[in-house]
Amino acid sequence: MATARLRLSEPLAITAAAVLFLGVFPFLHAQGVISTFTLGVWGKYLCYALLAISVDLLWGYTGLLSLGQALFFTLGGYMHGMYLMRMIGDLGQYKKPIPDFLVFLGWERLPAFWEPFASFPFAVAMVFAVPGVVAFLFGYLAFRSRIKGVYFSILTQALTYAASIMFFRNNLLLGGNNGFTDFKFILGHRLADPATARALYAASALALLLAFLFCRWLSRTKFGLVQQAIRDGENRVLFSGYATAHFKLFIFVVAAWIAAIGGALYTPQVGIINPSEMQADKSLEAVVWVAVGGRGTLLGPIVGAIGINALKSWATRAYPDLWLIILGTLFILVVLFLPGGIVSLPARLKALWQRFRSPRLPDPAPPAAAESASAKP
Amino acid sequence: MKKLTSLLGAGALALGASLASARAAETVKVGVLHSLSGTMAISETSLRDVLLFTFDEINAKGGVLGKKIEPVVVDGASNWPLFAEKAKQLLEQDKVAVTFGCWTSVSRKSVLPVFEKNNGLLFYPVQYEGEEESQNVCYTAEAVNQQATPAVDYYLKEGKKKFYLLGSDYVYPQTTNLVLLEYLLSKGVPLANIGGGFRKDGSGKIISAGKYTPFGHTDYQQIVAEIKQFAASGDACVISTLNGDTNVPFFKEYAASGLTAETCPVVSFSISEDEFRGLPADKLVGQLGCWTYFQSINSPANKKFVADFQAWLKKSTVPGIVKEGRVTCSPMVLSYVGVYLWKAAVEKAGSFDVDQVRAAWKSGLSFEGPGGKVTTQKNMHLTKNVYIGETKADGQFKILSSFNGVYGEPWLKGKFK
Amino acid sequence: MTHPLPCWLRAVLAGLFAAGALAAAEPTPRQIIARAALTEDAAQQRALISSLLGRADDAIVPLLEAWRKDALFLHTAADGTKTPVQLTGDPDATGARVASRVDTGGPWLDASGRPVRLNPSELTAVEHNTSLRRAMKGVLDLVDLAAADPAKRLKAIQAIGLAQDAEKLPVLQGRLATDSVPAVRRALREAIALIQLKDARDEVKLAALAELRELHPLASADFLQRALQEARERQNAAVAGAARAALRAVEDHRTTVDFLGTLFRGLSLGSILLVAALGLAITFGLMRVINMAHGEMIAVGAYTTYLVQNVFGAGLTIPCFGLSVPLPGLNLSGAAYQGYFLAALPLSFLSAALVGIALERSVIQFLYRRPLESLLATWGVSLVLQQGFRLMFGANNVQVSSPSYLSGNWLINDVILGWNRVFVIGFAILIVFGMWLVLTKTPLGLLIRASMQNRTMASCMGVSTGRVNLLTFGLGSGLAGLAGAFLSQIGNVGPSLGQGYIIDSFMVVVVGGVGSIGGTILSAFGIGGVDQVLQQYLPSVAPGLGWVPGLGGFLQNLAQDAAVFGKILVLAGIILFLQWRPAGLFVIRSRGLED
Repeated sequence: MATARLRLSEPLAITAAAVLFLGVFPFLHAQGVISTFTLGVWGKYLCYALLAISVDLLWGYTGLLSLGQALFFTLGGYMHGMYLMRMIGDLGQYKKPIPDFLVFLGWERLPAFWEPFASFPFAVAMVFAVPGVVAFLFGYLAFRSRIKGVYFSILTQALTYAASIMFFRNNLLLGGNNGFTDFKFILGHRLADPATARALYAASALALLLAFLFCRWLSRTKFGLVQQAIRDGENRVLFSGYATAHFKLFIFVVAAWIAAIGGALYTPQVGIINPSEMQADKSLEAVVWVAVGGRGTLLGPIVGAIGINALKSWATRAYPDLWLIILGTLFILVVLFLPGGIVSLPARLKALWQRFRSPRLPDPAPPAAAESASAKP
Repeated sequence: MKKLTSLLGAGALALGASLASARAAETVKVGVLHSLSGTMAISETSLRDVLLFTFDEINAKGGVLGKKIEPVVVDGASNWPLFAEKAKQLLEQDKVAVTFGCWTSVSRKSVLPVFEKNNGLLFYPVQYEGEEESQNVCYTAEAVNQQATPAVDYYLKEGKKKFYLLGSDYVYPQTTNLVLLEYLLSKGVPLANIGGGFRKDGSGKIISAGKYTPFGHTDYQQIVAEIKQFAASGDACVISTLNGDTNVPFFKEYAASGLTAETCPVVSFSISEDEFRGLPADKLVGQLGCWTYFQSINSPANKKFVADFQAWLKKSTVPGIVKEGRVTCSPMVLSYVGVYLWKAAVEKAGSFDVDQVRAAWKSGLSFEGPGGKVTTQKNMHLTKNVYIGETKADGQFKILSSFNGVYGEPWLKGKFK
Repeated sequence: MTHPLPCWLRAVLAGLFAAGALAAAEPTPRQIIARAALTEDAAQQRALISSLLGRADDAIVPLLEAWRKDALFLHTAADGTKTPVQLTGDPDATGARVASRVDTGGPWLDASGRPVRLNPSELTAVEHNTSLRRAMKGVLDLVDLAAADPAKRLKAIQAIGLAQDAEKLPVLQGRLATDSVPAVRRALREAIALIQLKDARDEVKLAALAELRELHPLASADFLQRALQEARERQNAAVAGAARAALRAVEDHRTTVDFLGTLFRGLSLGSILLVAALGLAITFGLMRVINMAHGEMIAVGAYTTYLVQNVFGAGLTIPCFGLSVPLPGLNLSGAAYQGYFLAALPLSFLSAALVGIALERSVIQFLYRRPLESLLATWGVSLVLQQGFRLMFGANNVQVSSPSYLSGNWLINDVILGWNRVFVIGFAILIVFGMWLVLTKTPLGLLIRASMQNRTMASCMGVSTGRVNLLTFGLGSGLAGLAGAFLSQIGNVGPSLGQGYIIDSFMVVVVGGVGSIGGTILSAFGIGGVDQVLQQYLPSVAPGLGWVPGLGGFLQNLAQDAAVFGKILVLAGIILFLQWRPAGLFVIRSRGLED
């Protein structure tokens, strides 16, 4: 009964959330009720939610725990960042037509690969192309040799680590440790304007909604079923005649794209992108959001990403010393006692309540989230 | 709907945090933006401590323009986007009159657009690479010519002929070494006597000089062996811009290979008294440091500053503050001096308005600080004294040489020909 | 630093002593040192000390040594008169000792003729700095030429050679005729040849070059370069040719040294990786538990070493969540204190093992069937532990000193062999052997292997798998703790110590083949060796990378940053290697479908 009611109300809840985030928040901001600061913070959370969805698509739905999603997020951010750097024009510290850090490295002309990034469509294409190609190459190599489980996790972590030390180098000509910052314009609009902030926020909310709907649709197609079957027993799927490597490769690239979109929207809103965003612990943090929110569901990652980051914003101010302990403990507790995450909490409580009311009845069917979590990954 | 409430519940936390508190009329809000957690907390927590001490000292004497300073302390958590977020919070919600903060260049770069957009004022106290002159930042920090070039002058005077450049791979070492390369060449040191390697662009122009290691690098065997060969024929020295953590494995390896301060001294620009608390002091005796302040400066102003600060620490009630074994160092003193210079500028302007404070700064204010006299400059930097010191086993520096009234020059590239 | 000109020096000395009461014919070395101790001006101080060069007097060495060790004091009388003194004899009840005057060497007598006794705390040690110490070293070098200790002689000879001080040539040649220690003789020949390189006569120069060619000391490279350039400018073909030949010999020697050095460094890095990864090879390899807190286990060991060091020393107070926990110190010194490290080894093993056991009981035992989740939960543990270290020991790194038996080096054929490195290599061999013994020759080892191969089956056979798991995890964590004790001698000890080793450790285990200790050993040395080879040789292959279309310049510059690029190449290499052998070097064969 409970599941049926939830399912009925689901489209309604999605619509309500969409209206709230896409309509009400920007409207309140335009009216001056919500400050640009608060809107910016929420925009950031929504970008993190996109990253969380991409982690969940791999981990919750396909059983691939990637510890490298922050790499794709950051790559997306860098590609968009390159466009934003070009848009600064000659308003930088040196008043030269090329980005400041290039002047300071002694460049007088723009390196060739920077040239096309003055075009927004090109930058958008690169937001998809670069993370896509990296994901394809790595995924092809990894899945072809049937690297899976924890090996896959460790290798993705190594990939991110290698990429981060690469990006920390100044001579990569992507800003080194400082990365990109001091953005001024996007598509001719000043980034400092509240209206631009509102538009970016709305774009993030829209992107999240679309990603959510896409994943929801995907998980219900035959493709999605194969995907979940891979998670639950890859060899059986393989023996049934499916080329599981192709499925995994496809989903790995799609997840990289979703993360990259998040990164691309993140960069102009926080005003900086640099290699510390792709360090190993950032990817692990994204996994925490998914685990705490509830993996194997689509709402879980969103709840987790927003909830934990809100908690972080508050705790780094109230208890800076204890923040890591709070995060670590929360995480241990969730893994041990609440494998379904926060979103499974209502159903769990309901089950408990029903057992309390009529102890002789058999347990109701556990909700989907808890079921998938307890399955062997 | 339950999902909605859980969403809103999470959001309420963030909104609750951002609620502005009631503002009292007789205080002026001042922002403190340092990392109190994460990797940079090691260094930045000390700056928060000294800032709170300075505010108490000023408040005890009646405050600024009759108003008590009310610090708003936020944690950047060693996370650069978070620095930008917290800066926005300080400027847009708390409406602070001035902010003291940042350590790393990237954190400064990250908050810079926020300060420029809101016309805020940031006091930045840590040695940095220069090549920047924002109207919204008061750079109390050492510019490259207030640290690196005096150190080279000292080495040249000591008869050193070969220079090995070593650094962590980030902007500050890269820029410093490029400036030093130009400076050394201008002093007649041949390219062959500059160690560490060069990187060139397509036209053969050198775009980067020196040896670089990534953050957190632990294996310095090869580099030390290279330095040992480099120094084999005598009169060699090392100029190190390695940052905090990596100094430990480097100096341990350096000492183990038999290199000493007498055969081949190392001058480090990132090791101050505060960093020393975690370094193997016995391995560093005799190595050099170069700053605009040392705790060992023998002046009444400095002795009073050190004593007052340590007395303040003893009775401080700030949660988690370390009370034992505390030292003072250059970034701390430059934070301290910054607060007093801001006070002087406000009093001269008769207002907290940023534009008027800036104008007062540019008019050239002076302050007798623990490190000697400092004077504000039109280019938002400071004229100050530079000291070269030799490390002692107790983690203090013995001052060997000093340069008085060095003008802070942020734009150095292409200056020495 | 070159020695000051004698004429200038004489002027300084004359000026100094003309007016003073000491204006005797020539001041004794004692008087000069006393004078120098009183002088405030650093340049004059240096000049005075340098004037002792070549003087033979038994007082010089002890006085200068005392000065360098802060045992030379200035006594300031009530009227401001300063007297340089040394303290001799045993301290009395108040800590005061008999003072002896530096300028006479005799006891300092007060007006009534009794010896003055002074307390060190009333005195200030005479200041010194690097350049002054170098001047002292110049003086001591010549004195050291006659030292009984060959190592001291060697150093002195090398310093004279590098300074190319022609005045000292006769002394060196005289020494060569009498000295019989081969290493010293070699150094003497090198020094003489280096000095003769400056000779104006071609035949002397050629002989020196031939000598250098035969001896090929690394230190001569710069001098040979200079000689070559000079010869070219003078168009002296014979000297230029000889210089080129000598230079080639030195470069050949350098190539050998680099190669052997790289070999040793690879071995040492490999040992470090092995020591760090061995614990993981057990917890991950045998138990299949992804312990992301492995790095923090290493840190536990390192902090234990720090604590033991302090307990052997002056004690320590740990602020712990608002409470201060005092640890009393044993106040040991000398060899007993140096022994702290040996005591720290078993203790660091134990403490990390205990933390590991606690971790296994509280978290991991619930996750044996969920490896991915053990990864996540242990990451949470690692965050908590890191912050715990910060709260207990502060965010700063802590100081762990190296005992004297770990902080020297051997220089064999110009290859540096650091004692700490040699020790780590030896230690790695030792624990691998120990582990092999435990796993193959003890009943516990049998149980461990049985449980790890098939937990259910072992359980059916009556093995208490729960306890075996506990002990195995404890063993793995303990090994990580031991690694921490060693790493404290090489790197920093701080809250994020473990983070630096975790990825490397996982790589070592994965490449070696999960579950295979032999594979772990091979892969640790392989990765260590490749890393060092890349670091050493990448810069020299850099110019050869220009041909790559579009990326040539980029790769050339990247190869210059060998420390960074080497790491990236190693990681990329590992990913590609796993293409070829997905299960690592050594595969544990199994019939299980899901293994």
